[in-house]
Parts: sequence; C-alpha cells; structure tokens
Amino acid sequence: MTSTIDHLSFDQLCELADAPVTVPVHAAWRDHLTACSECASQLAALASLRAQARRLPSEVAPPPELWAGIRAELAPRERAHRASRWHTSRWGLAAAALLVAVSSSAVTMVALRARERASTTAAATRPVAATTASKLPAHLASAELGYARSVAALRHTLDERRDSLATSTVETVERSLRIADAAIAEAREALERDPSNGVLVEIFTSNYERKIDLLRRATELAPRT
Amino acid sequence: MSSVLSLVHPHDTAAERNGPAGDDALVERARRGDVDAFELLYRAHSARVYALCLRLTGDSAKALELAQDVFIRAWEALPEFRGEASMTTWLHRIAVNAMLTRRRGDTRRTSRIALAEDDEDDARALAAGSSPARDVGTAIDLERAIASLPPGARRAFVLHDVEGYSHEEIAEMTGLASGTLRAQLHRARQLLMKALSS
Repeated sequence: MTSTIDHLSFDQLCELADAPVTVPVHAAWRDHLTACSECASQLAALASLRAQARRLPSEVAPPPELWAGIRAELAPRERAHRASRWHTSRWGLAAAALLVAVSSSAVTMVALRARERASTTAAATRPVAATTASKLPAHLASAELGYARSVAALRHTLDERRDSLATSTVETVERSLRIADAAIAEAREALERDPSNGVLVEIFTSNYERKIDLLRRATELAPRT
Repeated sequence: MSSVLSLVHPHDTAAERNGPAGDDALVERARRGDVDAFELLYRAHSARVYALCLRLTGDSAKALELAQDVFIRAWEALPEFRGEASMTTWLHRIAVNAMLTRRRGDTRRTSRIALAEDDEDDARALAAGSSPARDVGTAIDLERAIASLPPGARRAFVLHDVEGYSHEEIAEMTGLASGTLRAQLHRARQLLMKALSS
C-alpha cells in the first residue's frame, strides 16, 4: 500500500462514480486509486453497473387492459364533463350564431363597397367587361380547400346526430349556416374582383372560421348515438 | 479514470424527443375533456410510464394498478400541467407520488428476500425491450436483482441510475432528504453488485 489512506469507502466510490467528469477528483482519492487495484476494481464495477442500468430498455409495452381500465375510470368523469359543458355550449351556439349574423352584415357592406370600386375601375380600364369567372389567389384557394374539408367532416357528424337535437336548435343552426354561407359567397365574389383587399380576406376567412365554430358547437350539443 | 467516471445521458425516447411540441395540442384538447386526445397522449407515453411502474413495484399486477392510477391522476391534473417539464417527467413524478401514497397506505411491510416466479416474468418483460440479444441475459439478471431490492433502495436506484434523474430531482419528487436518497442509492448499488457477482 503506497497510498496515505486505507481503502476508499463505498460511499466515496459512489461519489466518484456520480461526479461529473469536469469535477476534479480529490487528490488523495486519485492517488489511492492509482495505487490500489482493489478500489480501482470496485470503482470499475460500480461504473459498469451504472452503464448496465442506463442500457436497460426505457419502454415496456403495457398490456391492453391498462387502457381499457383507464377508459372505464374516465367514462363517468367524461359524462360529467359533457354535462357541465351543455349549458355553456348552448350559450356558445347562440353567440356563434349572433356573430355570424353580425359579420354577414359587415361583409355585405364591405363587399358592396369593394364591388363598387371594382366596377368603377373595370369600367375605367376595360370598355367591355369580362364576364368569365375569375379565381381566388392560390393561397386563398388552398385555405378554402382546408376549410371545406373541416366543414364537410363536421357537417357529416352533425347530420348523423341531427335526430338528437331539438327542432328549434336545428332550425337556428341551419339558418345561421345559410347566413354564413351567404357571407362567405359574397366575400368570395368580392375577393375574385379585388384579391389584394386585406379587409375582404379577413372577412372571408373569419366567416369560414365562424361557420366551423358554429358547426363544432352544434355537434357538441348533439350526443353521440 | 474518466472512462469509469463518465456519465451516460438519461434515457431519450421518441416520445420525449417528439413530446413537447406534439403534446401541446393534445394536452389542450384533453384539458377540454377530449378523451380521444388523452388516449393519444397515453399511446405516446404509456410504455415509458409502465416500464417505470414495473421497476418501482417489481410486480406486474401492482405495476398495472399503479400505471392506471398514474394516468387517471394525470387526466385530473392536466389543467395544472404547464409544460415546464416534459410530459414524461411530469408523468414520472405522478408515478412516484402515487407509489408513495400507496406505500403509506400499505400496512404490509414485508421485505422481499426472494424472487417470485412473476418477478422473473417482469424481469424478462423489462429486459426484452430494446436490448440487443447478447445483453438480454445480463439485463434479465439486473432486472431481477432490481426487483429484489428493498422498496426505498429500488426507487432510488431506478430513478437515479436507470432513469437518470439527479439527486435534487429525486428529492423534489419524493420529498426525501438528499442524504437519505444517497444512502438508499448506495445501499441499492451495494446489494446489486453483490447479487450480480454471486
């Protein structure tokens, strides 16, 4: 034994094994490890154990009954949650319908102004008005495609659950949807003539979003059958 | 010297790598009561949670109960999840808390001195995961040895040496003093080295 200390304790070896490499090793311990093969071997075994532990698989697929058990536990909570949202959703639906109605008035006003401007410009620059249907800019056409997909999916869900809704609710929803469709169509038509009009873009997209929100709220009101 | 002292980074899985960004939208939906979104979160994280539960309990039936408890607590606590820690770390914390609650309520204080048959099945399941074939034997031995540890020592070893949490993180999870944790960890290592060398 050439070291000035006897053997390192197991706690000291663990401390060494856990120390980041950037932390300098206590000089006396380092000298001892250089001289004492027994402690060096213990430290190596400790490091090997830690390395093995870190190599253990971090994931084990749970048995299928785990999710089944969780799902069964969540079911009553989910029902309670849906019930608590019922009243909120009804008010939300009414608010969404009101928003659609209000925004449709706004779109009418802006679209009419845009139409007037476009007509004036067209009249000034083109003696013969082109009547062929114009297209939306690519980014708006792409956005519309996305909106249309969401609308179709929600519409499908709502149609499936329609029977569980009160007739008056269905009528409110359908009336609001018709208003939203009219506002969208109007904004779309105006945009085709004036595609760079930021206000029209905003009205066009926000009406789609309101329509989707209205559909979503309506589907939430209708329980799954 | 540095080779034997070097640290291996904590486990890093696909769920964790993809977790935070991908989880955000699901967490938001689940918070609003969307069980389908919660199921997707479950699918992304259940394998890591279940592995931890198996190792913490050393028993497949208890692990199943614990894992179920973890996800039900997670569902209830989702409004409090702020995304400061990864979803995996958050779920691990819940698992440790649930485990401690269970142990407090458990009047049985029998220490495990021998491996039961189901422990071997658990060890095989744990070791089978992603280890290369040549390591499976070693891994099974280690899993069995971990399962045979006293609960406190097992918890300290699993969280520190297997999962890679720091002493401070484990102290925060368990509410135990750092000195107590170190003592449990050192005891676990000593027992494991002895078990694996015999």
